[in-house]
Amino acid sequence: MASSSSLVPSSSDLTHVMKRGRRCINWSEFPSELTSSILQRLGAIEILGNAQKVCTSWRRVCKDPSMWRKIVMHDLGESMEFDLEIMCRHAVDLSQGGLIQIDIRHFGTDYLLKYISDRSGNLRSLKLAKCYSVTDHGFERAVVKLPLLEDLEVSYCLLSEESLKVVGQSCHNLKTLKLNRRGLRRPRFENDDEALAIAETLHGLRHLQLFGNSLSNTSLSSILDNCPYLEHLDLRQCFNVSIVGDLEKRCSERIKFVRYPSDSTHDYPFDATVFHMDSDEEDYFDCYDFDNYD
Amino acid sequence: MSESNKKISLISSEGEAFEVSEAVAREFEIVAHMLEDGCSGSSIPITTVDSNILGKVIEYCTKHVEVGNVEGNSEKAEKDLEEFDKRFIAVEMNTLFSLILAANYLNVKGLLNIGCQKVADTIKDMKPEEVRSIFNIENDYTPAEEEVVRKENEWAFQP
Repeated sequence: MASSSSLVPSSSDLTHVMKRGRRCINWSEFPSELTSSILQRLGAIEILGNAQKVCTSWRRVCKDPSMWRKIVMHDLGESMEFDLEIMCRHAVDLSQGGLIQIDIRHFGTDYLLKYISDRSGNLRSLKLAKCYSVTDHGFERAVVKLPLLEDLEVSYCLLSEESLKVVGQSCHNLKTLKLNRRGLRRPRFENDDEALAIAETLHGLRHLQLFGNSLSNTSLSSILDNCPYLEHLDLRQCFNVSIVGDLEKRCSERIKFVRYPSDSTHDYPFDATVFHMDSDEEDYFDCYDFDNYD
Repeated sequence: MSESNKKISLISSEGEAFEVSEAVAREFEIVAHMLEDGCSGSSIPITTVDSNILGKVIEYCTKHVEVGNVEGNSEKAEKDLEEFDKRFIAVEMNTLFSLILAANYLNVKGLLNIGCQKVADTIKDMKPEEVRSIFNIENDYTPAEEEVVRKENEWAFQP
């Protein structure tokens, strides 16, 4: 072996770009795989609304299906100039069937879900949050076409336990479920329907987040009985469960990471304000209905 | 093999030698591969990276090797490293550009990641004109091509 080896640059362009870089950078000459690595970190709204218009080389990168294996679109109320539903369909078209993950917040209809599921049979991760227009019917029709789904979030949506049962029947690889809603401390109102649907049909879960759910100790116990692979369980703001005694023992023995009802919400990605109302106030049910059920 | 004290010289494009421990040199995956392929060299020319940038990449790798070697207290170490990364990557655009290219070439994944993320964070909320001006990118769209893009943007509400 030689005592000294030279690292020959793999591309003469690189040297060229780097030498130029000292005086005057020109990002459009950047190797396209690096431009792609940077632009993939932007959301779909930023890519389609701005980045692809910068120059033709960025546009080429933005049109490549590899950029669209993951689509993140959150309507933060700042994109008033765009129709996000149309934009999202365009992003799905760009993926050319290769979509693996999609994460949508604050917009989306049954039609959009149909559009996605008709074109993305390889989808592994579907995240919906605050998609108030999505109905059980639309959701169920979509999810039966997504048999490879491993990771599902339906937070602050208006879906019932029936949708969860369809997920259980259709998505045998499901490992993660996030089903979050606003915590309700008072009045006390128990609802075990979702938790029981999970216990009945989603036996392969590893991660379960039920932030703000109204489940009781009975259905929590069912989940522990029927989801033998569960490793992460987030029960923050589930104020109806009281994890003491035997239940506490079972939780801590069975589950590697448990978040308890009163644990800190500092790392929770949504507003964690607890719904708190005196039980004699009549309009409580209206609010609750809007946030949770249709 | 007890090679932990072995020193390796990395030679910049200007011919300046930077002596580092083998552990630090191995953070450059391209160097690690050479060593694994049986290269016993103690002096490795890195002809595409200048002294200024090579010095910075070594600083980054040295810190990461140091923190990686500390046992226990992993949460504090992680925070410390996060803070270091944040400060390290807060550089002007020309330097950032060169750091990303060097990290890509030398295959230092962590540095490449924070570099690309820094650029993405910078352009996140910018209009195309702002991106062009800050990165000195020429708008090479012909009017005809611009029209194609405009037509494709059927999601944009017309003013």
